[in-house]
Amino acid sequence: MIRLSDMMTVALARLLRDGETVFCGVSSHLPLVAALLAKKLHAPGLVLLNIPGGVNPEKPRLSRITSAGSELWDSAAAEMTLAQVFDLSMRGGLDVAFLSGVQMDNRGGVNASLIGDWRQPKVRLPGGAGSAVLIPTAKRAILWRTKHDRRTFVQQVDFLTAKGNVSDVMTPLCHFVACQGELLLNSVHPYTSIEEVAENTAFPIRYKVLRKTTPISDAEMSALREVDPHDLRSIEF
Amino acid sequence: MNKICTMAQAIESIPDGAMVAIGGNTLNRVPMEAVYQMARQNKRNLQLVKTAGAMDIDLLCLAGCVKSVDAGYVSYESQFSLCRYYRRAVEKGQVITYEHACYTVICALRAAAYGIPFMPVKGLGQTQLMESNPRLGHIQDPFGGPDIAVVQAIRPNFAILHVHYADQAGNAMICGPVYEDLLMVQASERVIITTEEIVPDNYFRRQDIKAQIPAFQVEAVVHAPKGARPTAMPFCYPVDEAEVRAFQGLGAAEQLSKYLEGRREAAR
Repeated sequence: MIRLSDMMTVALARLLRDGETVFCGVSSHLPLVAALLAKKLHAPGLVLLNIPGGVNPEKPRLSRITSAGSELWDSAAAEMTLAQVFDLSMRGGLDVAFLSGVQMDNRGGVNASLIGDWRQPKVRLPGGAGSAVLIPTAKRAILWRTKHDRRTFVQQVDFLTAKGNVSDVMTPLCHFVACQGELLLNSVHPYTSIEEVAENTAFPIRYKVLRKTTPISDAEMSALREVDPHDLRSIEF
Repeated sequence: MNKICTMAQAIESIPDGAMVAIGGNTLNRVPMEAVYQMARQNKRNLQLVKTAGAMDIDLLCLAGCVKSVDAGYVSYESQFSLCRYYRRAVEKGQVITYEHACYTVICALRAAAYGIPFMPVKGLGQTQLMESNPRLGHIQDPFGGPDIAVVQAIRPNFAILHVHYADQAGNAMICGPVYEDLLMVQASERVIITTEEIVPDNYFRRQDIKAQIPAFQVEAVVHAPKGARPTAMPFCYPVDEAEVRAFQGLGAAEQLSKYLEGRREAAR
């Protein structure tokens, strides 16, 4: 039995390459673990950047409560503040930014702001944090969402918080990749089917070649347990 | 000059309607004792400024102190989830949200720190924040490049920060992540420091690492051990989870004064 959180984390880690600069922000435990996993497995030279400003924290003891706390600073050798990380992205030096939202459409639009009309929102959401500047400026904006349903993957977002260089969207069911401005289904995770993905997605599912996501290997699983012994990758589930 | 005063005195200097930048980030190193005091003193129409806020903004919204919030993100993050008092106040139209991209708060504070009226910001190409947030706009590039988004300067009347060490004159040092605190000092008209520890006058002169906040920019220093509680203070104490939960469970504003009284007792 493959756990959704494990599959998502491993699949995200596989998207990261050695030497890339990677930013994880607030409320981002799952991609944070994915970045640590990639560093452990195939991308030792990955540069992890974060809100507290600790560059490449070594074996951080992650906090369940926050992904913006000093545990990501304590074991770092150098400091790069959040403002400087944003600056880096603005001048084209950030390879990957991990972001999320409450609604996403198949053009890579993200809503993390509100439901309803912005003049009088029905539901006020936390806000997009860095999305509106990072999604257009990072070389690749990778989105993740731990819910895959029709309320999340919508025809049209209620409010466009951000849009731009979305390259991938990872969900508990599948992996979308952006192709000429459209999200195409790239792979469905081993425990599900294209039918289940389509049932839970409000936009039409299109793909070039349909693949199954490669199952988690033993090496990936043991590295995952090592970098995230307290299973913080699962807290959003 | 000795700037040490009580929390009540420091917070009394903040008038209703003031724009206040609050240090820290989410549940990390937030000057909560000062936030409690603002609620106790029944401040009204505060304009809060922060990149990523949580219990500070939530509590002041519950207390009815807030007119507007300039922020990129308002939530307790995954574990404690949404700021429901803030959310309710916005949904009822009692509080205005000027939603930013975190970086646009930083750029707005930078503009204030640089003494200029606005700051160009990259990104923001396809976002409705340009419509919903009146502090964002576009200008023509006078040098012939494409139009660029700008954010209006945000010059808070006050910055309130919780630090590890300060001397009586106001030289102050933060250990660990500084977040936007140091920028807030440069951007704001007046600075209130609350500190875990008051150090002797010559303390920083003898150190290899100097205070990041110079005394001449600081107006008041409050000795507030555990002043960030229940948020985390790096190297001192973690988030007090029970306390955060107790606050989240209050439900209504009527419960808040009792809660604040409880915090006063606990601090004694």
